Amino acid sequence: MNRIAVIFFLFSVLIFGACKVDPKIIEPLPADNLVEVIPEGWPQPKYTYSVNTISEDKFVLGRALFYEEMLSVDNTISCGTCHQDFAAFAHAEHKTSHGIYDRVGTRNTPGIFNLTWHPVFMHDGGINHIELQPLGPISNTLEMGADINPVIAKLQASSKYQNLFRKAYGSDTVTSQKMLRAMTVFMGLIYSYNSKFDYYKRKENNVEFSDAEQRGYSLFTANCSGCHTEPLFSDFGFKSNGLTVDPFYQDSGRAHITNLPQDRYKFKTPSLRNIAKTAPYMHDGRFTTLNQCLDHYTNAIPNLTNLDPSIPTNGYQFTAQNKQDIIAFLHTLTDYKLLGDKRFADPNF
Amino acid sequence: MKNTIKFIPLVLLLTIVSCKKDKKDPDPEPEPTPVATSNTLKIQFEHNVDAIALVLNQKYVNPNLDTFKVSMLKYYISNIVITKNDNSTFVEPESYHLIDVSNLSSTTISIPNVPFASYKSVSFMLGVDSTRNCSGAQTGDLAQNKNMFWTWSSGYIMFKLEGTSPQSGASNKGLEYHIGGFGGVNKVQRNFSYSFASTPANVSASVSPIIHMSVDINELFKNPTTINFATQHTQLSAGVNAKMFADNYSDMIKFENVQN
Repeated sequence: MNRIAVIFFLFSVLIFGACKVDPKIIEPLPADNLVEVIPEGWPQPKYTYSVNTISEDKFVLGRALFYEEMLSVDNTISCGTCHQDFAAFAHAEHKTSHGIYDRVGTRNTPGIFNLTWHPVFMHDGGINHIELQPLGPISNTLEMGADINPVIAKLQASSKYQNLFRKAYGSDTVTSQKMLRAMTVFMGLIYSYNSKFDYYKRKENNVEFSDAEQRGYSLFTANCSGCHTEPLFSDFGFKSNGLTVDPFYQDSGRAHITNLPQDRYKFKTPSLRNIAKTAPYMHDGRFTTLNQCLDHYTNAIPNLTNLDPSIPTNGYQFTAQNKQDIIAFLHTLTDYKLLGDKRFADPNF
Repeated sequence: MKNTIKFIPLVLLLTIVSCKKDKKDPDPEPEPTPVATSNTLKIQFEHNVDAIALVLNQKYVNPNLDTFKVSMLKYYISNIVITKNDNSTFVEPESYHLIDVSNLSSTTISIPNVPFASYKSVSFMLGVDSTRNCSGAQTGDLAQNKNMFWTWSSGYIMFKLEGTSPQSGASNKGLEYHIGGFGGVNKVQRNFSYSFASTPANVSASVSPIIHMSVDINELFKNPTTINFATQHTQLSAGVNAKMFADNYSDMIKFENVQN
């Protein structure tokens, strides 16, 4: 009987042991909840996984690619370099992106969460589909500076990626579509809907707002929610909020894509979810604190060109207390469940 | 009971091993040869400058009397429809073709499974329809790694010509025309439609017709707008200037003949 047990054990080790490709990648990945989520009361997402179906193997591949420095021309920069999990996938303490050869980009790295609801991507909305989004930073000469074909060749030559592509797609042939769709499985499953605000709205965990948070929420609803609309805290429109034009960047924003004068200095409304964790702020990272952001909106607006009509040119009439209350409310939008979710962390550490 | 248990590993082993290969079926009955009902139809694009055959990196003269060489010419032909004499149509499925003059085989489009019939006309689009410009990562000729897709402002480069001219105002004397923009008033897709007149394309078991088209590069540089390389040497984004080139190339492709 003992001998049988030993044979059985050895046999199982052989079967399962042989399947392990890279325990480093597989080990810290709980397979739970690798599914599409539409929180109650949220709109339908723009992207669904009906064609690009979700599997754990695609997720593992997408996660490896997201943290893969071979995606850059000199093998030094990955998506995760600027999209840090502890900062809700923004770049902590970096005004603008930091790329190959110490090049510095022109825009602030946005956080990554709830991407499947975004109709377009980038601060100027230049990218029209989540599957195409990775191509922007990969090809940008100030970021990863790579052509897609040499990247595909590098992945194809790697036994690690041959295995990961075979597991995900049944064939080890690397194509741009397979690569981009696996990355979309990873990026699109980064959901944020478990902040204090969400628990409060769902009446879960006996969460209540403090008096300051409650006052801040009321002020926010009355003054800010026109653009930063619940539940995603963005209307995904393009607006100018009246920032001065940085003389170095000369960034025309949406007009860079449309060439329309009425789109000059307009940028995509950012979601305010996790805003307390995604400093610095604005499209060029010019503000380091939420106080500075609120000050911008309460002072006279310096640049009236294409200013969104909902913003008073003399600024919002908020007291110091009002501002602190709004900031208290903004802190309730931090999703600590997301920030600590090991499924999205770098598998190489 | 003990004996049975002893056999379990063996049985398991057999099961696993047996999964590796499908059992061979005994030789199947030879199937009757299906009766063919379709054949291949080809559309061949021949590239010229005025009446002279285009050879990459050879010297030509444009309508503005500037000399130029072409180092690269690529464009999309899509949404091919051929019409029978009875006005019914054959629509090519997944009809997206990247023509690349540096790759001779790409300049002939082979359309398989065209039903036997007499066809009197063909239509297609130069460019890629707006739907596929908004559908994410693609495969085949539409894959995003063909250097025909803008990564910073999503959309296909529908038509790409690069070259040089001594008259070019660019510091490197280059010519760079990347023509794209899939929607709105400045979209650059252009539709072409041709009747084969007296010689229909007769697809049959023995005939795989070739439709010959000629593409005159100089049409890019004239009618309605005569291009001056001194100032109009670079076009790398969508918009009103890209549309100007598209209006020029809207008569670039001409029907020559059908070879049955």
